[in-house]
Amino acid sequence: MEQIVLTKLGQSCMQALLTTWLDFDLSLTKVPIVKRLEQGRLSLEDYQQLLLNLRQQVIEGSRWISRSASSFDRDYSDVRAIVINHAHEEHKDYLMLEADYLATGGKQETIEAFKKNTGSEALHGFLMYRASHPNPVDLIGAMWIIEGLGNKMASRWSRHINEQFDFDTKVTSFMDYHGENDESHLLELYKLIDRVASSQKNVDDIIRTAKVVAKLYQLQLEEVDNA
Amino acid sequence: MAVYINSTGRYLPGKAVDNEEIENVLGLINGQKSRLKNKILNANGITKRHYAINDKQQTEISNGEMAALAGKSCLEDSYLAPSKIQMLSCATSQGDLVLPGFGSMVQAELDLSEIELHTSHGICSSSMMALKAAYTNIKCDETDNALVIASELTSRLFKRSRYEQVTNNKVDFNAEFLRWMLSDGAGALLLENKTRPTGTSIRIDWIKSFSHADVYPVCMSVGISKDNVNKSWQDYETYSEAEKAGALMIRQDVRLLENIVAIGVQGFLKLISQGKLNINKIDHVLCHFSSKHFKSKIFDMLETAGASIPENKWYTNLYERGNTGCASIFIMLDEFIKTRKLKVGETIFCMVPESGRFNCAYMHLTVME
Repeated sequence: MEQIVLTKLGQSCMQALLTTWLDFDLSLTKVPIVKRLEQGRLSLEDYQQLLLNLRQQVIEGSRWISRSASSFDRDYSDVRAIVINHAHEEHKDYLMLEADYLATGGKQETIEAFKKNTGSEALHGFLMYRASHPNPVDLIGAMWIIEGLGNKMASRWSRHINEQFDFDTKVTSFMDYHGENDESHLLELYKLIDRVASSQKNVDDIIRTAKVVAKLYQLQLEEVDNA
Repeated sequence: MAVYINSTGRYLPGKAVDNEEIENVLGLINGQKSRLKNKILNANGITKRHYAINDKQQTEISNGEMAALAGKSCLEDSYLAPSKIQMLSCATSQGDLVLPGFGSMVQAELDLSEIELHTSHGICSSSMMALKAAYTNIKCDETDNALVIASELTSRLFKRSRYEQVTNNKVDFNAEFLRWMLSDGAGALLLENKTRPTGTSIRIDWIKSFSHADVYPVCMSVGISKDNVNKSWQDYETYSEAEKAGALMIRQDVRLLENIVAIGVQGFLKLISQGKLNINKIDHVLCHFSSKHFKSKIFDMLETAGASIPENKWYTNLYERGNTGCASIFIMLDEFIKTRKLKVGETIFCMVPESGRFNCAYMHLTVME
């Protein structure tokens, strides 16, 4: 692979981000609904419930990204451009998720009326709060965690779900989509890390936000069973 | 108190068996050649191994005897009289007897008197647990030395008759997988609280492991059947029923296996962030896992993060000596130390990822005078 992250700080940031991701990945494996999914014991209701709960965060996702874009001043105009592009790419992801939900037999009115679970509230609240700060470089940490999860959904969860259920139409287009262009997303993230991990303070902020987002994302998934 | 590896030894039974000959030893299941064999061998890269059973699947040498021979070869290379050994710490995944502990059998075989005894039970990482018990014992001044031995005789589990006993002869991929992976052998290390008068001593800087049994289901096992993971082999009415149900077969959940890379890397990064490991100062890597299995997305990321160790620093003899479970890391160390011209101050990083229920052990060594 092309050496993308070049600076020493960028590399130490990457190491800490990788550790944060791997810790998160292990914790997720213990979340009851994830356990059922990964061990082939997911019911159809479980999968529908998962989609219902993820939708809110996906819709709100493009909002915090857009808001963070507007918080970058002209010193970070290059970062802003990348973030705007990212927001644009993802702001209609929820439509795929809705299509999957309908394909499993769910109703449009149900998914539209569904409220955020308590974990989604906390996650969204935190992301909007951080995005409102000037030059919120720490949100690269949030993107890292959420991108990693997208990749996990595409490469693992989708496979498990397709083995457990047999529908005429595709029910995992949302999850699968995150596997496409994965390499270019990753390169983009690497470039961002190299760009913004320019001081120890920035690195610390990025890691802290990555950890908080990981914890709140975990809460969101734990709350799927309680929603 | 510093602890040193002052000599090493190994015992590999019989002649080296190449890929073509494996089924001549283990036998053809229902008289038929395996269709999976080449695929699995191509993936694991092993070309030679040793078996303690002959081509009639009779045991030629017991696990305890192999362990003792490795221990003897280790002592013969040392300055220490056998009567001066104060501790014996042994590991195996399956001793010759269910009870007593493997260490008792090895002690008797070696004829060592009044030693302190330890047996650790598990799979690949059990040797590192046995090593750590010995290391800490010396470190806290309880003993001056310890002989550590790891030995495996898994071929008994791979005899054709084991598979043929299962009702309907159902041999699925997960049950056959390890037949082409594991083989027999023993390795030994002598630890002392002082360096050797002449020759190379290797200081143990630290041993650390991280277990994740709370996270993942069982990945490698003997004692449960494919269809009923909650019923132990001891819960069947008779042992023969357990065998018919396939509960005595050694199994690997191949799909879960991919998690081993992530947990291996996670522990590695943890050690770096704890300041225990400085990757720029690692001269050699000995890993009980082929490096090509690590070629994955996570590994690419490690490279991007500047935390990978170049391929030319990795050493293994798994391909020629076979994967001997918990004995592998000792057999690897033995050959490495005896065939390399090591320089004073060089560092060796060892890693033993165990897929049983995901334990990963690490060790850092420094070459002394």
